[in-house]
Amino acid sequence: MSVLRERVTWVWLALVVLTCVTTWGLSKDLISPTVAVVGTFLIAAVKVRYVILDFMELRDAPIPVRMAAEAWPVVVAAMILGFWFATGA
Amino acid sequence: MSTLSRMPVATADRVKPRRLPGVDGVWVAIGADSVIFAILFMSFMQARLKDPAVFEASRQTLNMHLGGVDTLILLTSSWSVALAVQAMKRDQIDREPRLLLGGAVTGLMFMVSKSIEYFQKFAEGITPATNDFFMWYFTLTGIHLLHVVFGTSLLTYLWIRSLRGTYDHLHRAVPESVASYWHLVDLLWVVLFPLLYLMKAV
Amino acid sequence: MATHAPPGISAPARDVSPYRTDYRMWKILAWTGPVFLAAFFCLWGLLADNIPPFPPSATPDEVWQHYADLRLPIMIGMSVCLTMAAFYMSWSVAIARVMERIEGPGGVLSKLEMMGGTITCAPLMVACALWLTAAHEIHNIDPGIAHMLYWMGWLLIDLAYFVTSLQIAAVSIVFMRDKREKKLVPDAVIWWGWVTFASFFVVSAIPFVTTGPLAFNGVISFWIAFFTWFFWIPSLSFFIIKAIGRLKAEDEAAGRVNA
Repeated sequence: MSVLRERVTWVWLALVVLTCVTTWGLSKDLISPTVAVVGTFLIAAVKVRYVILDFMELRDAPIPVRMAAEAWPVVVAAMILGFWFATGA
Repeated sequence: MSTLSRMPVATADRVKPRRLPGVDGVWVAIGADSVIFAILFMSFMQARLKDPAVFEASRQTLNMHLGGVDTLILLTSSWSVALAVQAMKRDQIDREPRLLLGGAVTGLMFMVSKSIEYFQKFAEGITPATNDFFMWYFTLTGIHLLHVVFGTSLLTYLWIRSLRGTYDHLHRAVPESVASYWHLVDLLWVVLFPLLYLMKAV
Repeated sequence: MATHAPPGISAPARDVSPYRTDYRMWKILAWTGPVFLAAFFCLWGLLADNIPPFPPSATPDEVWQHYADLRLPIMIGMSVCLTMAAFYMSWSVAIARVMERIEGPGGVLSKLEMMGGTITCAPLMVACALWLTAAHEIHNIDPGIAHMLYWMGWLLIDLAYFVTSLQIAAVSIVFMRDKREKKLVPDAVIWWGWVTFASFFVVSAIPFVTTGPLAFNGVISFWIAFFTWFFWIPSLSFFIIKAIGRLKAEDEAAGRVNA
């Protein structure tokens, strides 16, 4: 089994790249807070989704469980961003 | 076989029944834990709403680089554990120990990194009592750290058992359950890190 | 597929008491669990205004005023709740007897469960008595004493959690070992027990904080820790009550004399 051909390896690489983008890219001062925060949490939601589907293997889970699992990052990101926009300086 | 198996999933090569990895009951715990953390994230945001200036000033004292590295550590840990489970499915018993050990060692690395970060803060005179942000910071990362300690212990136990060839495609319910828990620990940090370290104020 | 255990799996005759089993009394005891929860929730929670609790950050004067303002509701709520806390004990006896059918008579975990459930009554009762006393005596005591009684009740009711944790752990372990194809208590309830067990530990922080999520009125130490337990009680009760009926059917099918 070549590790490089495994789906989980590709997912891991993508997650690593996305982590670098948010941690060392979007955090730069020249990016506006709104773009940085929205971008960071959308990316976080995508990362969570891939951990859920491919690491946790819920891609093949019974549909109700999969739906609940996919809803979690969406709800969490929406809730966090909602509060962020409602918060003053 | 999972009692929740229902409609088959059609894939290119064969039809696979839908299943939950590991023991069904562990998904109740994983579901409850993820809902509880979602509630905690919301409570944090509510607290932040009341005092955004203090939260922003405090956030800026956090070590973002260490936090980012922590994310990479846990992602790698999850990857290693996921590969271990795949090895079990394919009866590649020799590969399992090093992959499980990889998961445990990276878990340990996270614990060391967090400890360093905590001690840096204490050295600067910052504790959970300093202000609301730091109460939340230490509470959220502390509870997450307890999850990491527990998970790393379980992975260590799995590593030891895998050295004796305990796990294969027919005997993987326990490792799969532990792996699922470990991926939860990983994804919680994926949210916690930006929430505490990266969330700039408006 | 049997919905009850065939003779090979269920307890052999020697594991069942040689005396007649009083299934009806057993079921009544099982029902006292939900009765306890209803009483505790309504009397302690709602009437005595503990959902959520008056803040730990309150000053002695504020605590004194709280007891003066709510004197009568607190006296009613706490006194009746103190008395009805005994139902948690009777409930745990019923559970222990179901556990013995899986573990064997006199098994250690069923003993631990019964003791854990019984001893849980102590911090509940004493805490209610402390708060009852504060309300009863409010016009005779200084704010400092009121503040002390308030904290004493909370420290006791919260930090004694491990007695209940051991009860919950014993329940989860034994029902996990049930070999019936359709377990007497389903996995979901067993695992919810473990979630409850885990949620109690952080409550140990309450002496050290007066605000935030770990304070005794906070999202973690109050809302999560109490409500996981509040949900465990009725969900377990539902299956214990049903289990007694199933065990009666098993006994009758096996032709046991005492059934």
